[in-house]
Amino acid sequence: MKNDFRLQYPLWMMGFIVVLGMFAYGISSPVTEIVNTDTEQSIMIELEPVAGFIVVGTAVLYVAMLATFIFQLLRHNRKNPTQKVSPFSIRPLEYLEQDEGMTYITRKASQKVYTFMSWSLPLLAVFAMVTPLPRLFIVWGILLVALIQYVIYYVEIRKHFKEEVE
Amino acid sequence: MLKNRVKELRARYGLTQSDLGKQVDVTRQTIAFIEKGEFSPSITLALKLAKSLQTNVNELFWLEEDGNEK
Repeated sequence: MKNDFRLQYPLWMMGFIVVLGMFAYGISSPVTEIVNTDTEQSIMIELEPVAGFIVVGTAVLYVAMLATFIFQLLRHNRKNPTQKVSPFSIRPLEYLEQDEGMTYITRKASQKVYTFMSWSLPLLAVFAMVTPLPRLFIVWGILLVALIQYVIYYVEIRKHFKEEVE
Repeated sequence: MLKNRVKELRARYGLTQSDLGKQVDVTRQTIAFIEKGEFSPSITLALKLAKSLQTNVNELFWLEEDGNEK
């Protein structure tokens, strides 16, 4: 159970969010020049060497992580034909609902996440409205909220799986 | 607080958490949660557990208040 893909799913999401945050930094720092005259139309995007490295590096990392993620998901579905998960499901993949005990801990963890979201999102919206921060910081703020929600969920679920004794 | 004798009776019949879980159609983890008192089972599951452990629900589960045990 500890190696159940659904238990590891929040970790995957945390990883994707961190990589996405780094990618956002990379694509937020290019120098853009747009020329639109009667005789010439062009858009030039110039990445600084470090930013360029971050964009390409994180894109490659993201694709590699995505491939591994899909492999793990397919392996889970092969090993657990009665508890298949679909990447296209609207319901979060991390939900454990195979019996009433699992449903109970999923509900407890979800309640904690909902409590966090109920005040963090309005706070973030107010913060974005009143502070003259660049767009990148707003994106990072959203990603941070998303990251924390997975941390809360994961910590709560893991707490119940500690000290398992047969 | 809901207390139980699931672990004691399970051990008496030489069952593992997995064995008992299979008998009542839940995961081993759910049996562990019940034994640790983290989770109070539904009436249906309590009845199934009592049947598997050859006892009745009153003997298997009880409420403990202010340190007064059954």
